[in-house]
Amino acid sequence: MKQKILKFLRSMTFGMILLGLIVACSLAGSLIAQGKEVMWYVKTYPGWYGILLKLGLNNVFYSWYFLVLMVLLCLNLTLCSLVRIRRVYRAAKNAVPNAAKRTTDIPLSPEKLAEFCAYLEDRRFRKTEIGDAVVYSKNSLGWYGSFLTHLAILLTVLFGAATLYLPQVMDETCLPGETLVMADGTEIAVDSFHIEDAQGNLDYASKIHVTLPDGRSSGIQEIRVNHPFGFGGYKIYQQTYGTAGAVTVRDKATGAEDPFTLTENCFLSADGRNGVWFEALYPDYSRDESGNFTLISQTSGRYSNPVYQILIASDGVQTPVLAFPGETVTVGGLEYTFEAPVEYPGLRIKQTPVIVNILLCGAFCLMILGLWFCFFGSPALVTVRPDGCAIGGPKPQGTRMELAALLEDGIQEKEEEKC
Amino acid sequence: MLNILFFTPLVLFFLAVILGFFGILFHKEQVSRLSWWLFLGGTAILTAYLAARGVVAGRIPLSNQFEFATAFAWGIAVMLIAVQTRAKAEWIRVAAMPMTFLVLSYAALQPREITELMPALKSAWFALHIGSAVFSYASFVLAGCAGVRYLLISRKDHTAGQLVQIDYLSYRMVALGFLLLTVVILSGAIWAEQAWSAFWTWDPKETWALITWILYAIYLHLRLRKKLSGKVMAWMVVIYVPVVLFTFVGVNTLLPGLHSYG
Ligand code: HEM
Repeated sequence: MKQKILKFLRSMTFGMILLGLIVACSLAGSLIAQGKEVMWYVKTYPGWYGILLKLGLNNVFYSWYFLVLMVLLCLNLTLCSLVRIRRVYRAAKNAVPNAAKRTTDIPLSPEKLAEFCAYLEDRRFRKTEIGDAVVYSKNSLGWYGSFLTHLAILLTVLFGAATLYLPQVMDETCLPGETLVMADGTEIAVDSFHIEDAQGNLDYASKIHVTLPDGRSSGIQEIRVNHPFGFGGYKIYQQTYGTAGAVTVRDKATGAEDPFTLTENCFLSADGRNGVWFEALYPDYSRDESGNFTLISQTSGRYSNPVYQILIASDGVQTPVLAFPGETVTVGGLEYTFEAPVEYPGLRIKQTPVIVNILLCGAFCLMILGLWFCFFGSPALVTVRPDGCAIGGPKPQGTRMELAALLEDGIQEKEEEKC
Repeated sequence: MLNILFFTPLVLFFLAVILGFFGILFHKEQVSRLSWWLFLGGTAILTAYLAARGVVAGRIPLSNQFEFATAFAWGIAVMLIAVQTRAKAEWIRVAAMPMTFLVLSYAALQPREITELMPALKSAWFALHIGSAVFSYASFVLAGCAGVRYLLISRKDHTAGQLVQIDYLSYRMVALGFLLLTVVILSGAIWAEQAWSAFWTWDPKETWALITWILYAIYLHLRLRKKLSGKVMAWMVVIYVPVVLFTFVGVNTLLPGLHSYG
C-alpha cells in the first residue's frame, strides 16, 4: 500500500492532475478580481458571493488549497526527479554500447548507407566502432535535458516563493528635501524629483541618496521606472508620483514666515472664524469669454496651469476663491502666498536578500538550458551495420525523417539526372 | 505612405487565401503557386512596414495592441515561410495563410497612430520579452494549423507516413513555441522585478501566459504516452489556439491589469 502511494505521488499522472488543478485555480484567479473589499464581491456577484468568499476565490493565489497544490507539485517533482536521475545517468553512460547491440531495422544498400554515413559525419556525429557496428552519436548532454528542466522548475518554485515571502516592502511618499528613516537607522533622502524631462517627455525620475547606519553613503543616484537602485540590502524603486500644493504663510505683525506643503488643508484660527481652507489643486483650467473657469482635474504629466481652489473664512463668512501661483491672500492678519506646486515621488523600498534573486535567475537559466537540451539537443544515435542501420535515442523520429528526406532527395536527384 | 505599406499586405494576403483555396479546390498547381508568391510579397511589404514604423517611432514597433497584432501576423507569416522552406510542408499553408490574414485584419481594426513609448516599457528586456512572445505564439498557431491538416486528412485515405510527418512537425512547432514562451515568462519575471519590485504579481497577462505554458506542458507529457493517438494530440493543438490568441491579444482588452498598455 505504502509503495503504491509513493508510486502515485511520483507519477506523471499525479503531476498532470496537479498541473490541471493549478490551471483551474489560475483561471478563477484571473477571471475573478482578486483582493477587493468584501462589499465589492457582494455588489458584483449578488447571487453567489457567499460561495465565492467561502471558497476563497477572492484570493485564490494565497489560499490554503493553492499552497497545498504547490507543495504537492514540489513533492511530485522531487520524487520523480530522484527516480529519474539514476535512470538517466545509466542511459547516458551506456548509450553507445547499448546502441551497438541494436539490430538493423532499416535495410539500406551500401550506396545509400555510405551517403547516410557521410551525411552524419557532416552533421558532426561522433563515430565509435564496436565489433561489427559503427555507432554515430550526438548530443550526449541531451540525456539530462528533461532532468535539468524539472530540477529548474522545482528550484524556480522554491526560490520564487522565497522572493515573494522574504522581502519586506514599504511604500512611502517623500517630498524633495525630506528623508525617510528606516527601522535600522538607514536614511533614504529624496534630493529632487521630476515628472517630465527638459524636453517635456514623461520621465518620472528621482535623485536620492542612501546613508547606512555605519555612515556609508551611496552618493546621489537617479532612479526611474525600470531602473531601481540597490544599496546596503535595500532596493529602492520609483513607484508612483504626486503633485502637492505649496504655500508660504507670513505673519504681518512679526514678519515671521513658514513654508508649507499642502498635505495639510486647514489654516484656520482657533475659533475657526478666520483663515484659509485648502480644498484642491487643479493641474489646468480653461476660461470662457465671460470669464467663467472650468477646472481640469486629469493630467498625465506636469501641471501646466495649476490653480488652487480655496475657501477664505473672514469673521465666519466663507468665500470660495481660486488662487494662482504667485498670488497672495490676506486674512486674519496672515498673508498666504501660493507657490508653484511641488512634484514628489512615491518610493517602494524593498529589503531583500540579494542571494535569493541570484539563485532564482540561476534556476531560470537552467530551465532554458534544460528545455534546449530536451528539444534541440536531444541525443541521437545511429547504429550502422553492413546491411543497413538502426536509429535510436529518446527521440528517433527526427533522425528518421532526416534519413527519409535524404533518401527522397537522392531519388529526386537520380530522376533529374535521367531526364 | 505608411498606410499603403500596411494595407497592401492585407490585400495581398486576402488574395493569397482566396487563390490558395481555389488552387486546392480545382487542383490548379499554377494558381496555388501564384497564391504563395502573393503571400511572399505581402510578407516582404509587411516587413518593410514594420521597419518603417520602427524608424518613424524611433523604437521597436511592439508597444500597443495594433503593433502587437501586426507583429504577430508578421511572425506567423515568417514562421510559415521558414517551415515551408525547411520542412517542405506545403500543406501547412492552407490553414496558416488564413490565420495570418485574420490576425492582420484584427490589427487593422485597432487605432494605428504612433504613440510615444511609455516609461514603463523603456527597458532592455522589452525587445526580448515581446519579440520572443511574437515567435512563440506564432509557433503555437502553426502547430494548430498542422493539427487542422492532420484532422482533415486522417479521415481520408492517407499514408501513415504522412500523418506521422504532420504530427512530428506539429510537435516541433510546440517545442519551439514552448521554449520561447519560457523565455517570455522568465524575461518578463526579471523585468517585473526591475519595474514593479516583484518577479510575479499574478497579473492577468502573467497568469494567462502561465496557463498557456502549463497547457502545452500537459500536451508534451501526454505525447510521451505512446497510447494516445495522433488525433488526440492534433485536437489538443487546435483547441489551444484560441487560448493563445486570448493570451496574446485578448487579455489586454478584457482583463485589465498591469499589462494594459494597449
Ligand atoms: C511544471 C511543469 C512541467 C514542465 C514545464 C515540464 C516539462 C517537461 C518537458 C519539456 C519534457 C520533455 C518533453 C519532450 O522532450 O518532448 C518533460 C518530460 C517529462 N516530464 Fe515534465 N514538466 C513538468 C512537470 C512534470 C511533472 C509534475 C512530472 C511528474 C512526474 C513530470 C514528468 C515528466 C516525465 C516522466 C518526462 C519524460 C521523461 C524524460 O524525458 O526523462 N513533468 N517535461
